[in-house]
Amino acid sequence: MTHGTLSLLAQTGFPASMAQATLAHYVVVSLLMFVIGLIGFLTRRNLIIMFLCTELMFQAAGIALVAFGRFHLDYTGQTFVIFVLTVAAAEASMALALIVLLFRRKESLSAEDWQELKG
Amino acid sequence: MIERLAYLWPEIALFIATCVVMVMGLSRTYATRKATATIAALGTFSAAVLSFLTTPDGGEIEAVSGQLYLASMVPYAKTLIGAVATLLLLTMAGTVDRAEEADIAKGVRSFDPLRSNRAEFYAFFLFSITGLMLCADADDLIWLFLALELTSLPTYIMVAMSTARNRGREAGVKYFFLGAMGAAVFLYGFALIYGAVGSTNLNEIAVAFATGGISSLGMLGVLLSILGICFKIAAVPMHFYTPDVYEGAAPQVSGFLAFVPKTAGFLSILLICGAVGWNYVIPPDGVSPLATVMPSAEGTQLPEVLRLTLWVIAALTMTVGNVLALLQTSVKRMLAYSSIAHSGYMLVGVIVGPGIAADSFSGNGVAAVLFYLLSYGVMNAGVFAVLAALERAPGRDGEPREIETISDLKGLCRSHPMLGWPMVICCLSLLGLPPLLGFFGKLPLFTAAIRAGEIPLVLVLGVNSAIAACYYLKLAFAPLTEVADDADGDPIVAAPFRTRAAAAVISAACVIGLALGGNLLMQGARSAASYTEADAIKSRVPQANAAPVDRNVAAH
Amino acid sequence: MILFSLILIPLLFAALLALAPAAQARSLAFLGMLTSSAAAVLAMLRFDWNNGAVFANEKTFPWLGELGIQLSVGADSVSMLMIALTALLGPICVVASRTAVTERHRTFFGWLLVLQAAMYGVFIARDLILFYICFEFTLVPMFVLINVFGSTNRKHASVKFFLYTFTGSVIALAGLVYVAKFNAELPVSATRESLAAMMQAGGTPAPGPGVWTFDIETLGRAARRMSSTEQAWVLLALMVGFAVKVPLFPVHTWLPLAHTEAPTAGSVILAGVLLKLGTYGIFRFAIPFVPAAFAEYAPLIAQLCIVGILYGGLICWVQTDVKKLVAYSSVAHLGFCVLGLAATNATGLSGSILYMINHGLSTGALFLCIGMVYERYHTRSMKELGGLAAKMPVWSTFMIFFTMASVGLPGLNGFVSEFMCLLAAFQASSAWGSSTTMVEGAMDAGLWGSAGASTVGATHGGLGPWYAAIAGIGMIVAAMYLLLMVGRVVWGPLVEPHGHGGHGGHGGHGGHGGHGHDAHGAAAGDHHDDHADAHGPLPADLTAREIGVLAPLAILCVVLGVYPKPLLATLEGPVNQTVQLIDSARSMGLQLEAPAHTTSPAQGGAPTQGLAQ
Repeated sequence: MTHGTLSLLAQTGFPASMAQATLAHYVVVSLLMFVIGLIGFLTRRNLIIMFLCTELMFQAAGIALVAFGRFHLDYTGQTFVIFVLTVAAAEASMALALIVLLFRRKESLSAEDWQELKG
Repeated sequence: MIERLAYLWPEIALFIATCVVMVMGLSRTYATRKATATIAALGTFSAAVLSFLTTPDGGEIEAVSGQLYLASMVPYAKTLIGAVATLLLLTMAGTVDRAEEADIAKGVRSFDPLRSNRAEFYAFFLFSITGLMLCADADDLIWLFLALELTSLPTYIMVAMSTARNRGREAGVKYFFLGAMGAAVFLYGFALIYGAVGSTNLNEIAVAFATGGISSLGMLGVLLSILGICFKIAAVPMHFYTPDVYEGAAPQVSGFLAFVPKTAGFLSILLICGAVGWNYVIPPDGVSPLATVMPSAEGTQLPEVLRLTLWVIAALTMTVGNVLALLQTSVKRMLAYSSIAHSGYMLVGVIVGPGIAADSFSGNGVAAVLFYLLSYGVMNAGVFAVLAALERAPGRDGEPREIETISDLKGLCRSHPMLGWPMVICCLSLLGLPPLLGFFGKLPLFTAAIRAGEIPLVLVLGVNSAIAACYYLKLAFAPLTEVADDADGDPIVAAPFRTRAAAAVISAACVIGLALGGNLLMQGARSAASYTEADAIKSRVPQANAAPVDRNVAAH
Repeated sequence: MILFSLILIPLLFAALLALAPAAQARSLAFLGMLTSSAAAVLAMLRFDWNNGAVFANEKTFPWLGELGIQLSVGADSVSMLMIALTALLGPICVVASRTAVTERHRTFFGWLLVLQAAMYGVFIARDLILFYICFEFTLVPMFVLINVFGSTNRKHASVKFFLYTFTGSVIALAGLVYVAKFNAELPVSATRESLAAMMQAGGTPAPGPGVWTFDIETLGRAARRMSSTEQAWVLLALMVGFAVKVPLFPVHTWLPLAHTEAPTAGSVILAGVLLKLGTYGIFRFAIPFVPAAFAEYAPLIAQLCIVGILYGGLICWVQTDVKKLVAYSSVAHLGFCVLGLAATNATGLSGSILYMINHGLSTGALFLCIGMVYERYHTRSMKELGGLAAKMPVWSTFMIFFTMASVGLPGLNGFVSEFMCLLAAFQASSAWGSSTTMVEGAMDAGLWGSAGASTVGATHGGLGPWYAAIAGIGMIVAAMYLLLMVGRVVWGPLVEPHGHGGHGGHGGHGGHGGHGHDAHGAAAGDHHDDHADAHGPLPADLTAREIGVLAPLAILCVVLGVYPKPLLATLEGPVNQTVQLIDSARSMGLQLEAPAHTTSPAQGGAPTQGLAQ
């Protein structure tokens, strides 16, 4: 691990004993969720899975926000999460609508089947 | 909080227009349905007027709340958004429901509210513009996030519904998925900034960064935010969607995409960069700083990591956009790549920031970006309006198709002078040929970067302008010097929507007129980018040794 | 106001022309050219020729004050002479295109008028951005003229022309903006309070140090205070832009192509005026802005010129296309012109400016002559043309005359300027300075008057006799071939393309198909046929109109060859001013940078290599 990463984790109180969950644990979990979501988004080709990956990234941000809010003893983080959830719900409905629209045409959920536009 | 209403009159006007449009679009009477476009145009136009008239400038708002960040940007940005949106709205006529309305007019079927998209389409347009205006007066990360989402979410649907063909839907889905990913990235960045500072208020973030330095967590957050917003401005690591989406969407919607998300992205980047860097020293005597006042070297730039990242992004964005545009034959793909390149140009202004000569237009990168947004919006609307105003006459399948390649534009100045000449003028302006608006947009970027000592970046910018000349030349002179070869396919005719051609003509007139009489607009851009006393707080804090921000203040 | 009208009149007529019916286009264009030329004559009449260095009619209007841009015009004697050249060639081009342009009249003549306005604008601009705008805007009309009305390879030629010049001038702009930046960072001369008050009142402060401005005068004064490294870089940027336009050796490749493909009027304007924008730019900006750097790198520039002269001369030997040959000889001629500037003494500068005028006259006329033959035979290949003296005695006379003027026959205009440039290069060396007195004596004997006289004594340029000698050889090579070409085309056995034998030079065009004059040649032939119905076929020899086009140029060639003294006298003012700038910069450099002299090549290494590439 580079020095930068270490100092980054140190800022959040890492490493810490497992006895109590510190900010670091939450942040690491949220980072993992974010990275898993990102990797999943870039590697998977099923539209539903891809969408779920973006949801994962959104929720990772949500966890980070709540954890940071608690750390700073500040409610802004939680307020932010409420808005994020709302937006995520709006995106979910839109994603499903678009996916259904495509599915009706081609009976397939794979992004590979939609290559009319090159690139 | 009630004082903030003073800022929101344009958005309120837009929202009222949205509601009216949503209801009217479902009317059974054709005349009422048809009036939706007019109402929407009234909405954007009155929003522009309201922004100009009612938005308090930086000084006033300081008196009111002392809070709003980069406050003097707001009236200028919102007026320009309203004006360009009105122009873009003119190109939107007949985008949806064209076949439907034709059937209804013929009496094939009666009006069915479930099949009509008109109300939604115009409502989405207005929602997106509302979001864009809200971006301009954001002073909080939550506000900024919501505004960005309000700007983008409607555009996904607009792309998908803009054409009846599969391409449009595919483009919509692609745009949506990558857009959602981008949104997640900048949201995560916002979360990290919040984690590092403990506040989502941009002013407090700026003060915290100025007093306590920028922690690695905060810097990571800033970088992720900018990376995510790169999707909105179609800058390099997040640019892949651009050509596909522009090609798949109807040309007028592509023109919309080239302006609205891009402007939203740049306004956000300016806000975030302003919170992180560009600290600015006001001379002690309070006289506005002239070029002779050399502030201390530190603090007039972005933090080195961020500056370097933006530098690389800018250089790559320009180069990738321009080089790939060279290889295109499709007009829309070419314009898509060129829109990537234009983002790269504007990033130069972001890197420079207000600079050491912030009170002059020639030295202020932020003013240059704001002015470039305006000029790019106008030129871009003109080019896409021409594309939207042309179509291939219906062939065997009975549906008019949009024009695709550059050779479809050949001889346009002779066959349709009112479309051909705007195309020539707008393309030459995009190329940056003096004395058109595009040149006067690029010149301040040039001067600001040189004044800030970013000579290598200026050279990259110059070389890229030359590369851009290669393909814009093709595009600009195909209508003028070539002769139409009517060998292949159905003839190219003007689409039966007058307002699209009108938008093209208005844009071309603005490209010339604003170049000749643009001094007032430049003045506006300059004062929009100038710091108010409120913005200067953070530069004073270190000297005054001010107490760290009280974290509980924000919670109450 | 009269100078502004030079820009406005052609633009106004171009707008009228766009609305008028196509049949009226030519006469309207002629009227427009005449009107603007009349305005130019009026401006010249009011000009005080005895004080050539004073900018007349200097007028300034606010424009984009936020960017420091003003509508500011004025003309000294150099500008006035260039305006005169432009005003002369403009109407001539319209008349010469009477039969050559057979379709899209409005496009052709409209853009010709726009081009005229832009060229006037370049010469009268006293604001850098105004200059740059006009400089750049000449590209668009010229692009259209070549792209639409050129011959076979016109698309490629026009694009190359545009891209080369555009790229060059963007880099030049960077250099100019850097100068503006430098000026803005100088200490303010006015008090800060008064400036701040002005800014708050919304007005723009008067140009001066410490103020963001593009005023040429102010920037020139500021630029001369830059450090030598800065000067070198600015010089590099400016020279890249102007060298492409001139064109100097490594970046000249667009020119022969553009010339060959351009229609006759386009070639005339291109050779006559547009190329001079580059040399004018060097004289007006590169030298006065960064005199020290220019003096330092003058040998390098001169070497490039000489390479260009030799290259242009040698390449003439393999040309069979008459027009291409003249184009390459233009490369050599312009090399001479810049060589005169690089000599950095009064003889060289006056000679160079005179060369701009003379080259415009003689080469412009040569292109006109070639165009006239092309209209009759639809070929410019030397293999297909020969012995035309028998058929076209009048044309042959003019052709020989202008060739002589071009190669520098004593008594004609080319000789004076060429000799002055050579002489200047010869003198411009500190080592040989004293031994030039004999030549000086010959000069003072009175043929060319006072401009030469001022150079007696110290000339410090880094050039020397070798430069002059090699350049002279190069010129002789080009001249030989130019003469050989004329000899073959005019005298010798009569050779005509197939289908032209016997009757009056205008016959069946079916014959060109096989002569490399493929598609476009045939197409041009068709248009020509259409046109012939309206105007009647062209006779074998020149018509009265064509003689009328060439005669004024011929007269001027003689006049300027025999009696160039008034021109040189009026150039004395601006030239001496410039030489003083160079000399003072040079002497300052000698005083200040004597210890640093060893390091200066290393500093300058990067820019010079860049220039050479």
